[in-house]
Amino acid sequence: MARDNIFVGLEIGTTKVCVVVAEARHDNTLKILGVGNAPSRGIRKGEIVDFETAKRCVHDAIADAEERSDVEISEVYLGISGGHIRSFNNRGIVLLEEGREEIDEQDLEDVRTNAREVSLPMEDCVLHTIIQHYFVDGQGGVLNPLGLFGKKLEADFHIVYGIRTRIQNAIRCVKELELETADVVINSFATAQAVLDKNYKQLGALVIDIGGGTTDFVVYVEGAVKQSGVIAIGGDHITNDLSIGLKIPSARAEKLKIEEGDVTLGNAFPGETIVLRDETGFAGREIERETLNQIIHCRVREIFDIVERQVDADQNLNYLGAGVFVTGGSSQLRGIEHLAGDVFGLPSRVTAPLPLAGVTSAFENPQFSTAIGLVRYAHLVHLDRPVARGILSRTMKRLSGIFRT
Amino acid sequence: MVQLNRQYGRQETASEPRKIRVIGVGGAGSNILDRAMLDGIDHVELTTANTDVQSLTGSVANQKIQLGRNLTRGLGSGGDPELGLAAAEESSDEIQSVVAGCDIVFVCAGLGGGTGSGAAPFIARLAREVGALVLVLVAMPFTFEGRRRCAQAAASLQLIRENSDAVICFENDRMAELALPRMGIHEAFAAADVTISQSIRAISNLLLQPGLIRLGFDDICSVLRESDARALFGFGEADGENRAHDALVKSLRNPLMHRGEMLANATNVIVQIRGGANVTLGEVGIVMEELNRHVSDRTQLMMGVAIDAGMGSRLSVCIISSLGDSSDRPLKAEAYPALQEPERAEIEVTREKVSDPAPPAHVPEPVITLRLEDERPIDVVKLDAAEPVEAVESRASRKENGKEAASADKAAPKAVPKKIEAKQEVLQFDAVSRGRFEKSEPTIIDGQDLDVPTFLRRRVKVG
Repeated sequence: MARDNIFVGLEIGTTKVCVVVAEARHDNTLKILGVGNAPSRGIRKGEIVDFETAKRCVHDAIADAEERSDVEISEVYLGISGGHIRSFNNRGIVLLEEGREEIDEQDLEDVRTNAREVSLPMEDCVLHTIIQHYFVDGQGGVLNPLGLFGKKLEADFHIVYGIRTRIQNAIRCVKELELETADVVINSFATAQAVLDKNYKQLGALVIDIGGGTTDFVVYVEGAVKQSGVIAIGGDHITNDLSIGLKIPSARAEKLKIEEGDVTLGNAFPGETIVLRDETGFAGREIERETLNQIIHCRVREIFDIVERQVDADQNLNYLGAGVFVTGGSSQLRGIEHLAGDVFGLPSRVTAPLPLAGVTSAFENPQFSTAIGLVRYAHLVHLDRPVARGILSRTMKRLSGIFRT
Repeated sequence: MVQLNRQYGRQETASEPRKIRVIGVGGAGSNILDRAMLDGIDHVELTTANTDVQSLTGSVANQKIQLGRNLTRGLGSGGDPELGLAAAEESSDEIQSVVAGCDIVFVCAGLGGGTGSGAAPFIARLAREVGALVLVLVAMPFTFEGRRRCAQAAASLQLIRENSDAVICFENDRMAELALPRMGIHEAFAAADVTISQSIRAISNLLLQPGLIRLGFDDICSVLRESDARALFGFGEADGENRAHDALVKSLRNPLMHRGEMLANATNVIVQIRGGANVTLGEVGIVMEELNRHVSDRTQLMMGVAIDAGMGSRLSVCIISSLGDSSDRPLKAEAYPALQEPERAEIEVTREKVSDPAPPAHVPEPVITLRLEDERPIDVVKLDAAEPVEAVESRASRKENGKEAASADKAAPKAVPKKIEAKQEVLQFDAVSRGRFEKSEPTIIDGQDLDVPTFLRRRVKVG
C-alpha cells in the first residue's frame, strides 16, 4: 500500500545501513514514522564489495524500518557515495527562436540538457544537474526565469557524475530486494538538506560529512551548490591507523576511538595513560593518551586539509557566512569542531539533522544526517515536481499555488 | 683590448676523470660483470673476486682476485657466508691494492650464497676505508631459493648498508617479470644481470660524462641514501621519430618501476637523457612532461642531459630513484646534499646526524632481528608484529634495539665490523602497512596513498 506521501531514504553506509520512513503532512512538513538500522558488512569506502552480504544487511534494515514504521516499503531514495564520484560546474545556453520572447518550461529543460552536454568518459554517467543561477540576456541573479522576457537564457549548473557500473551495484542491491529506486542522490547533497536550512544555504556553508568509509562535502554559496566532492577516507581509516599504530585489533581500536578518542593535541596530562582491559575485565596494556590523540589528530587534520585544498578559496571559502558544519558518524570525535575551525579559519560546529516531527529524539545524532537528508530531499523534489506536463496540469499547479498562499 | 673567446661550446671540465672500479663478488657478481663487459662499458675498470677458481677463469674481467687461496683451495664457499667472509679477509691485501686510489667503487653481488653474502660487505668496507664512494648493487635471491638463503641475504644486506654509501637492491622476484615463466631459469637470471649491468652503465656514464646539464654522485647519493634500499630503476632506449616518448615508456616498463606507479612515492628522482648531437629541447620537454605525470607534486626531479656522439640517432632515458617514504620531511639542508660540497667528509656528517639518538621524526619500524642459529638456521627473520609493542619506541627501547642489533651482528658472520663508526638508521624493509585496506582499491590523492596511516606517512613521532 504505497502511499503517495510516504518517502523512504536508504543509506547504504560503510558502518551501518539506515532506512528512514517519513510522511509528508498536509502543511508540507515531514514527520518521521520510523527508522530502521542494521550494521553493515560487505561495504568498503562507501561501496559494495560483497554483494550478497551487503544485500542481507540492507534487507535487515528495511525489515526493521517496516516494522517500526508500520509501512510497507516499495520505493526508496538511495544515497550514493564512493571515491569515483566527481563534479564540476558548467554553463548551458539557450537562444529563443525568432518571434518568441517569453521563457517557458521547455527552455529551462533545454538549458539543463545543454549544460549536461560535455564529454564525460565512456563509463561515467551524470547523477545530478543542480541549478545554481540563471542569466537572462546576460543579466545575472535571476532566481526563476519562467515567464520572463528575454532572447537568451543561460544557466550555471553543478554537475555530479560517477562511474555507471559502480552506481548500478547499489541500485541492483535494492532491486533484488524487490524495491524500486525512486531516485539516486549523492550523500553530500542529501546531508546538506538535513543539516542546513534555507538561511544557512543563503549565507554560505560548507558541510563535511565524515562517515565510516568516505568523507563527503558540499559547498553552498548564496543558496546554490557551488562544489561537492567525495574523499574515500573516513572513520574506518582512523580505526585502522590506531590498530596499526597501537598494535591492537580493529574491534578494540574502534572501541577505543569512540570511548577515549580526542582530536585535540595537548589535552592529556603528560604521561597520562589508558589501561586497555580485555574481555574478562583484567587490565592489560597501557597506552599513552597523547599517542592515541595524536594518531587521530593526524588523520582528521589530513581529511580537513584535503577538503580545504579542494574547496576553491577565492570563489567559495571566503564567502561562507554560516561557516563549517561537520556531521556524520565520525564527527562525534571529541574536539573535532575546534580542529575544523583551525583548518578552515571559519566558525565550525558539529551538527545533527535539523529537528523533524516524529520519533526524533534518538535520531538527533550526526550519524543519521544523510539518511534523514534523503527523505528531506525526496520531499523537496516532490514539492517541486510538476505533476505532469500539459496545459491542464500547469493550470492546476498554478491554482494550487494560489491556494497555498 | 678585450679578446673574445670564440669557443662558445661547453667548457670541458677541468678536473681529471674520476677513477671508477666495478668489483663483482661471487658467482652472480662475476656474471653481472661479464654481462656489463659484453654490453660494452668504457672508462671503468672491472675486477672479479671469487672463491671458485673455475668460475674465475671463465670471467672476462681484466683483473681477478681469488679469495681465500689457502682457505677454500679454489673451491666455492659452499653457500656459507662465514666462509666467504673468512676467504675475503685472507685476501684483504689484494683487495686493498685493487681499490686503492679509486674515487668510486661499485660492488655487485648476488646475495644469499656464500661468497657474495660474506665477502661483499667486507669489500665494501675496505673500499670505504681507502676513501672511495661505495655503491653496492645487490641481487636478492628468488623466494623459491628457500628461506635460508633469503635470510642470509637479508642479514648480509643489513651489513652492506652499514658499510656503503648507497645500496641498490634488485629483487629477483620482481626481475623475473622480465622473463616469461616458461623461459629457462638461466634466462631469468640473465635478465636480472642485464638490468644490473644496465644500471652500472647508466650510473657510470652519468658520472663520467657530465653532460650539458650535469648530474653528479652527490645527486645519486641524495636519491639513494635514506631510502629503504628498494631501488626504482628504469632504462629505455629508442630510435626513430617518436624516440623520446618510446624511450620513456620503455624505461617505465622496467619491472623495477612497477610501471611507474611506484614513482608516486619517491621524493627524489634522477632522470638522465642521453642522445646524439641531435637531441632537441622539445624531446627533453616531452620526457619531462610525461614523467611529471607519474610523480607527486612534492617530488624533486633532477634532470641531466648528456650528449654522446656514440649514441647516433638513438636516445636513452634513465630513471633512478628509491622508495624512501620521506615525503613530509622538513626541507633541511642536510637532506639536500646537492647543496653542499659533495665531499665524503660531508657525507659522514650527514650520516651521523641521521643516526642521532633523537632523530627529528622517528617512525615505528618493524624491528628486524636476525638470529643465525646453528641447529635450526631457518626461521630467522622475525618481525614483531604479533607482540603488543608500544607504537613508538621510547628512547630506552631504541637503545635496546641497538643492543639487539649489535648482538645480531655478533651472531651473524663474525669478524665483520666490530666497530661501525656511524650506523645507518634501521630502515623499513617491508612495504608500509595499509592494514585492513590492504586489498581494497587504494585512495590516492596528490600522489599519496591515503590508506597508509597519516602519522606513518608524515613520520610524525607519536608518543
